[in-house]
Amino acid sequence: MRMSKIVRTAADILYPAILIFGLYIVAHGHLTPGGGFQGGAVIATGGALVIVAYNYKEVTGWLKKNVLTGQEVSGLVGFIGVGLLALAFGQVFFFNYLVGSGSIFGMPVPYGINPGELNTAGIVPLMNFAVGIEVWGGLTVVILYMLSGLEKEGC
Amino acid sequence: MKKVLVVGASLLIMAAFFGMIALNLTFGSPKTTDMDDYFLRNGQELTGSNNECTAVVFDFRGFDTLGESTVLFCAIVGVGLMFRKMQGGEEYEDE
Amino acid sequence: MIEQIPQILVLLGLIVSAVLTFHFKDLLAATLAAGLFSFLISLEFYILQAPDVAISQAAIGAGLTTAIFIIAIRATKRFEGEGS
Repeated sequence: MRMSKIVRTAADILYPAILIFGLYIVAHGHLTPGGGFQGGAVIATGGALVIVAYNYKEVTGWLKKNVLTGQEVSGLVGFIGVGLLALAFGQVFFFNYLVGSGSIFGMPVPYGINPGELNTAGIVPLMNFAVGIEVWGGLTVVILYMLSGLEKEGC
Repeated sequence: MKKVLVVGASLLIMAAFFGMIALNLTFGSPKTTDMDDYFLRNGQELTGSNNECTAVVFDFRGFDTLGESTVLFCAIVGVGLMFRKMQGGEEYEDE
Repeated sequence: MIEQIPQILVLLGLIVSAVLTFHFKDLLAATLAAGLFSFLISLEFYILQAPDVAISQAAIGAGLTTAIFIIAIRATKRFEGEGS
């Protein structure tokens, strides 16, 4: 069962906008309210909109279970890997080794009240991206699994 | 009649309970604030992140977030296993 | 007092939507009332200056839970007590 043409067209138009808004929340997690989990949940809401609007066969052409599960696994592995990389710098696990170092995300921090600079905060944005990718894949694949239970009834 | 009495009495007891708690709470002024003050004063300098919530969640309390991610992963693996079993085996394609 | 008026309205809306969730016999309408409950709770979090929690509540409570319930209603009966 697919929903009416109005719902399908609205889902088509809204899905890229929701995707970009979620990625914005993930990428600006260290400056504005939000973060990895919230941004991933927003993107998963867009996936849920598409899944509810179409039926199972059409959805699995867009959203592949393999890709989403791979996102989930690679997000978790990346999160642990960013933490473990601190050992290579001679620090303890989860140490923020990039802050103030001048490389990626390592700009010197403007102190006090400021509008914020995207290129700061060390490993916090990297961890935000890892958790965001994990939550995106995980929460979308849960709804896809729910829908796969209905596959026999042609829904 | 008896039912109304029981419901009213339980509502009254609940209202008294929550009202007592709400009246005795002092909102926004906890007793010990040493750790909060340390985070708020030095968090921006130590982590470089303007958003203090993210600084605490991803840097000061990184192990907490690691546990949260692991819990989410395990929950989704459990959902996948549950729906795999419901399909009956042979016609479940691994796509 | 004037700044507490939206908070009081949101709390009254929470009670109304919670009662509506139990009142509806149409399960789709009950699901939408539960989604309205989650949305009002996220608004309340925003009023209490916790925007992080408000974003995750709006995404998970009002979005994903409603979607999961709608998919479950698709697989079963739409009205309560039907077919038994």
